[in-house]
Amino acid sequence: MATRTITEGISVARRRRFSETYIGEWLMTTDHKKLGIMYIVTAFFFFLVGGVDALLIRTQLAVPNGKVLTPEIYDQIFTMHGTTMIFLFVMPMLTGFGNYVVPLMIGARDMAFPRMNAFGYWVVLFGGLFLTSSFLFGAAPNAGWFSYAPLTELNAGCGTSGVVTCTPGLNMDFWALGILMLGISSIASALNFVVTILRLRAPGMTVNRMPLFTWMTLITNFLLLFAIPSVTAASILLLLDRHLGTHFFQAGFGGDPLLWQHLFWSFGHPEVYILILPAFGMISEILPVFSRKPIFGYTFIAWSGVAIGFLSFTVWAHHMFAVGLPLVAQAFFATSTTLIAIPTAVKIFNWVATVTGGKISFRPAMLFALGFVAMFLMAVVPFDYQVTDTYFVVSHLHYVLFGGTVFGVFAGIYYWFPKMTGKLLNDRLGQLQFWLMLIGVNLTFFPMHILGILGMPRRIYTYPGNLGWNELNLLATIGAFIIAAAILVFLWNFVITLRSGQPSGPDPWDAFTLEWDTDSPPKPYNFPVIPIVRSRRPFYDKKNPEIADWKTATH
Amino acid sequence: MVALYQRTVLEKSKIVTEEQEQRKQPSNQRKISKEAMEYAIDPKRSYWPFALAIALFITLLGVIVHPVIFWIGVALIAAAIIGWGLERR
Repeated sequence: MATRTITEGISVARRRRFSETYIGEWLMTTDHKKLGIMYIVTAFFFFLVGGVDALLIRTQLAVPNGKVLTPEIYDQIFTMHGTTMIFLFVMPMLTGFGNYVVPLMIGARDMAFPRMNAFGYWVVLFGGLFLTSSFLFGAAPNAGWFSYAPLTELNAGCGTSGVVTCTPGLNMDFWALGILMLGISSIASALNFVVTILRLRAPGMTVNRMPLFTWMTLITNFLLLFAIPSVTAASILLLLDRHLGTHFFQAGFGGDPLLWQHLFWSFGHPEVYILILPAFGMISEILPVFSRKPIFGYTFIAWSGVAIGFLSFTVWAHHMFAVGLPLVAQAFFATSTTLIAIPTAVKIFNWVATVTGGKISFRPAMLFALGFVAMFLMAVVPFDYQVTDTYFVVSHLHYVLFGGTVFGVFAGIYYWFPKMTGKLLNDRLGQLQFWLMLIGVNLTFFPMHILGILGMPRRIYTYPGNLGWNELNLLATIGAFIIAAAILVFLWNFVITLRSGQPSGPDPWDAFTLEWDTDSPPKPYNFPVIPIVRSRRPFYDKKNPEIADWKTATH
Repeated sequence: MVALYQRTVLEKSKIVTEEQEQRKQPSNQRKISKEAMEYAIDPKRSYWPFALAIALFITLLGVIVHPVIFWIGVALIAAAIIGWGLERR
């Protein structure tokens, strides 16, 4: 047996393990910050994919009798636009922000289950690739993001006579299996967030002192835990109907055609709040910092989020008023829908009160936050029965999800980008992007209100030129391209900032919460010593010990 | 009232003392190098989340493409779950 003596001064060269290479580090990471960035980048990629879909739709509808796409491709494009934007952009984007920010905000070193966190991310990525790869098979989903059964049954049996052609091919199989996969990811990440927030908060951070973004993330993830099983069950039932001869949704065989709508919307409406509550949380963090004031009505904002969470499970049938529900059910769902406006309004009043009298600094993050509040107000125009299945609904939905969530997401990007990269995005380009987006959003979606009232049905492939819809459709298309220009400005800003951006330092906004009490970007372990929290603005306390909140406030 | 005030002051001073104690702790442990401490609290890497996710992807693709791919995916899922469970952390 050979022996070897290593004398002092001789360095022993060791081949780097794969896990220590650049690619290996990202492939194997369980660090919540890296995973957060991966979620955000992936979601942004799918935002671009969904955006191209949107431009194709708008180009097709720009003029009457459009022939840019075939009807079959058009169906696939509008279905994948909705599916991509909801399941592959907004949900992963908000999960990404939660992943990056929440553990830092609550003074934790990582998520409760780091490997499950990584698993959630990889499933989203592969789920997204799975759904998108359907285009390669020429079989992208084509029945709308809501995939109403029995329309989505296989090739016969969706009508009572059993001979009507429904959705043959693999299109809806891709959708059902993709949603199943994304549901697994959502459940994994939701469990992780709930346990992390409930168990890993820094000493002294009581529930009453949690940052509002953390509050909203907690509520959102409870909603996910209860909402996702519904759409997962529906997808499995649909697959069984399509391939194993069951008839859950077929009236002709004793099934119930409305069952799909109940199952889907009992997921779908909480889903709306899943998509907007984290944005509420972001706005509740950003407005106080750029107004130099504590948030107004912390308790009301937090608990109105809880109220929204509960009520969101009681409003699903307002998507179904036109299906012939009993009057009692219609009255119940109309009432609960009205009720949910109350906690939402509470938040809006509190945000306005936070900004009022503050020393407002109009940095891009603040502009997007204010834009969010304004655009979200546009989304609550009350109108329902008469405009069912018209472009009015498309407009309303986009004011919520684009005017609301996307503005919130960009507010979050401008706010937390320095923490993630150590660099400040360019302010002038940020302002240009904001104004382009504000103009683009209103030019695209406001005319759709009028189109809806004029009777233009949603999802139509084209329209004749004598219905008075031409100019409004052209305006909407021009607006969509202005939004695209705004996104290009952002991409340019992103690239030049990463190349030669101004260093931000650890706390560029003079912020209040714990994530800013770390380096930018933070060390892998976040905090060398876990901080002790004594108020709702722990970092503000640390920077201003003589006027610390805990000396004056009772919470 | 006075008793309540005294108790509040006492509790506040106790919190400060605990905080100071906690902050002192790292300085008592200087024998452990900074690198070693950072290593101990760094998030540990793992292949298995990636492996399990790709196995799930292959399984679902198998449902669409061919049963053989489906069963390969199922086997990979089983392997990934076992690997995940046995990984030393």
